[in-house]
Amino acid sequence: MGMRIARPVIILAGLFVVWAVIVWALAIPRFILPGPILVFEAWWDNFQHLLYHAQYTAIEILAGLALGAAIGTGTALTMAYFGGARRWLLPVLVASQAVPVFALAPILVLWLGYGMASKIAMAMLIIYFPVTAAFFDGLRRTDPAWLDLARVMGGSRWAVLTTIRIPAALPALASGLRVAAAVAPIGAVVGEWVGSSVGLGHLMLHSNARVQVALMFAALFTLILLALALYYAVDAGLRRALAWQPDSNPAHDR
Amino acid sequence: MAAPETLAPIGVSVHAARLDYAGLPLFDDLDFEMAPGLWTCVLGASGVGKTSLLRLIAGLTDPWKGSRIACSDDAPLAGRAAYMAQQDLLLPWLTVRQNVMLGPRLRRETGRDRRVARALELLAMVGLSDKADALPATLSGGQRQRAALARTLMEDRPIVLMDEPFSALDAVTRHHIQGLAANVLRDRSVLLVTHDPMEALRLGHRIHVMAGRPATLDEPLLPAGTPPRDMTDTALLRLHGELMQRLAAAGDA
Amino acid sequence: MMTIDIHDIHGKIETMMTIRRLFTALITAMAIALVFMNSTAAAQDKLTLVLDWSINPDHAPLFVAKERGFFREAGLDVTMIEPGDPNSPPRLVAAGRYDLAISYQPQLHMQVDKGLPLIRVGTLVGTPLNSLVVLKNGPIKSIADLKGRKIGYSVGGFEEALLRAMLAKYGLKMSDVTLINVNFSLSPALMAGKVDAVIGAFRNFELNQMDIEKRPGRAFYPEKEGVPAYDELIFVANRKSASDPRLPRFLKAVARGVAALRKDSKGSWVLFIKGRKKLDDELNRRAWRDTLPHFANDPAALDAARYLRFSQFMKAQGLIKATPPVSSYAVELR
Repeated sequence: MGMRIARPVIILAGLFVVWAVIVWALAIPRFILPGPILVFEAWWDNFQHLLYHAQYTAIEILAGLALGAAIGTGTALTMAYFGGARRWLLPVLVASQAVPVFALAPILVLWLGYGMASKIAMAMLIIYFPVTAAFFDGLRRTDPAWLDLARVMGGSRWAVLTTIRIPAALPALASGLRVAAAVAPIGAVVGEWVGSSVGLGHLMLHSNARVQVALMFAALFTLILLALALYYAVDAGLRRALAWQPDSNPAHDR
Repeated sequence: MAAPETLAPIGVSVHAARLDYAGLPLFDDLDFEMAPGLWTCVLGASGVGKTSLLRLIAGLTDPWKGSRIACSDDAPLAGRAAYMAQQDLLLPWLTVRQNVMLGPRLRRETGRDRRVARALELLAMVGLSDKADALPATLSGGQRQRAALARTLMEDRPIVLMDEPFSALDAVTRHHIQGLAANVLRDRSVLLVTHDPMEALRLGHRIHVMAGRPATLDEPLLPAGTPPRDMTDTALLRLHGELMQRLAAAGDA
Repeated sequence: MMTIDIHDIHGKIETMMTIRRLFTALITAMAIALVFMNSTAAAQDKLTLVLDWSINPDHAPLFVAKERGFFREAGLDVTMIEPGDPNSPPRLVAAGRYDLAISYQPQLHMQVDKGLPLIRVGTLVGTPLNSLVVLKNGPIKSIADLKGRKIGYSVGGFEEALLRAMLAKYGLKMSDVTLINVNFSLSPALMAGKVDAVIGAFRNFELNQMDIEKRPGRAFYPEKEGVPAYDELIFVANRKSASDPRLPRFLKAVARGVAALRKDSKGSWVLFIKGRKKLDDELNRRAWRDTLPHFANDPAALDAARYLRFSQFMKAQGLIKATPPVSSYAVELR
């Protein structure tokens, strides 16, 4: 446990050192890339301010993650259970991923306004495909031997879905959710860039324009911390929920 | 929700079965009988079609037009067979006890308490009482297959279809579980598909060798004695030699 | 007096002819060299200029100067670059990556205050273009009506300064309005009714855009509502370039561009869209016409007093910490 916390800290410290060396060695002016000490100062001095904006971004990310995951799982189940639905929904799904988020952002903002709704929608959009595709894949790839057993036992399609297919597909869904946790922050921030009055993405834009470059990096850094915390929380939660999944091969012979 | 099965043994007869694989018939116009209350073994090399025959009877593949699968009491076969495969097919997210109760769970049967009691009884019968609440990942291969056996018993079906259920186990474990299966599944109509002639001799009342392309079944061997037979018995060993010759000849053909 | 010997005269004539031949050869060589130098001199002196935004009619004089060869005649090979992010050009110039950038006078004050080594070397547009725009047929009839309303802005960085001064004139504070960053989507936000007013809209652009979409706007000009006059578009260079000989030549060529533009607006438009077909649209045509009066006839000229007044204004608004001497960040190059 000690090493699990120590490792990211060590990596972080290492990155800071590399950063400082690069800034010093290439004599990068601080209005282009400030060194880590300047950024840390800006982070410390503006802590309350950053916290204020961070909570908005955090809510946007979490809500987007939750809603996107819910809709994604629902879509995957529908496609798995109804063959017709799959034929119609699959192209829509693929299209949703092909459209670059940047193109949709202004439209969403104009539609849903400059408040949190458009940012949540952006985060939802960005994770919809990974979650749906992962879960659908898992649902499709149920071990045929289990399905044979279930068939001989006389289970209904619905019973087989809930008793066997869904639990069997949960590890795949978990992979999709991990990707979603990593990507959702991007959606929220891009939404903020396009139009907002609060949030870390907004703060980054704002401070950049005022040549407060150190503050911009401090906001970026806070965003990274937020994203990391979210990822590890989701990962830990999934690990606990899927405790039955063996991480390595069983000890005994097979 | 099936009514409690009566234990009057039921025979199964297959007429004119045909199965194609990659455009060529695996077997064609095949007739096969499972005697009621007895163990029928089908022995053969890999890929000859014995698993396909079992799957046909289990209802996992559609029968060819013109073939017929019937039971001796003229009731349909569907819902009256239990299936046991080479893999234990235990669901990793359910405990052993929950796995044993998989059939009733899938069929949404009521009367849970009674069933839990029955499941624990069956686990005791196969020697897994202390593992009832464990996850399958913590069990050894032999233990897992015993759990699968308990699950099969839970189904309480007159017909049991077993597709090489013990071939993945080591020799000693296999020996034990063969004996166990012979005892707990006594008086049921069992189809045991295997590639191990000694297993067939220990457990089977009738032993067919399936061979050829398209595959055919020869006249069954009927060893004397009650399963599980003693593998050191000289008569059995002589039969073993005979079976091996038949298999080898089939292999050359 | 030297005695002249017959042999000496012969020798002297020979020497004179040799000298003459040498002289001719030398002159010829110099002439050839000069011609050679001149023809390559025309392709020397590269100059990189980062625009403030993608090419638009605000850059008219530059393109006239380029297409009519004024830069070439000044011995300059000017490359104009469109930026990805409008905040980066001055920083890149300060970092030494490019020679010149088009920027905004208010931003220059802020950047210099933050220690960027920049100087203003010329003016492209010598009057404010920025305005506070509302829907002509909307509920906002005067700035006082903005109390409790939403105002959209793009990331300019000093919209607060303008707004604060304009609101103060009508007794309003910044806390009386809500600022929303709409990130350059100014007219759409206003026309869709998502905000009640926008600041940062250029009077030659956004107003025309709204006219075309049949939702006309109305502009309040900062310089009439309590903000000192300033240059909207200026040329900035790295402080090290104060004595760069290319820059005065550049500015002279730009001045010629402005003059040519005023003399023949239609012909200049043709040059502007030459090879840039996608610029030929109704919005640009109208903006072209409206921007004409705003270009500085003498790009090099500097009104230092005006710069000082504006920097004092920005300090009073709390946007900069100090008002250094104007000569430290703005020069007039001749």
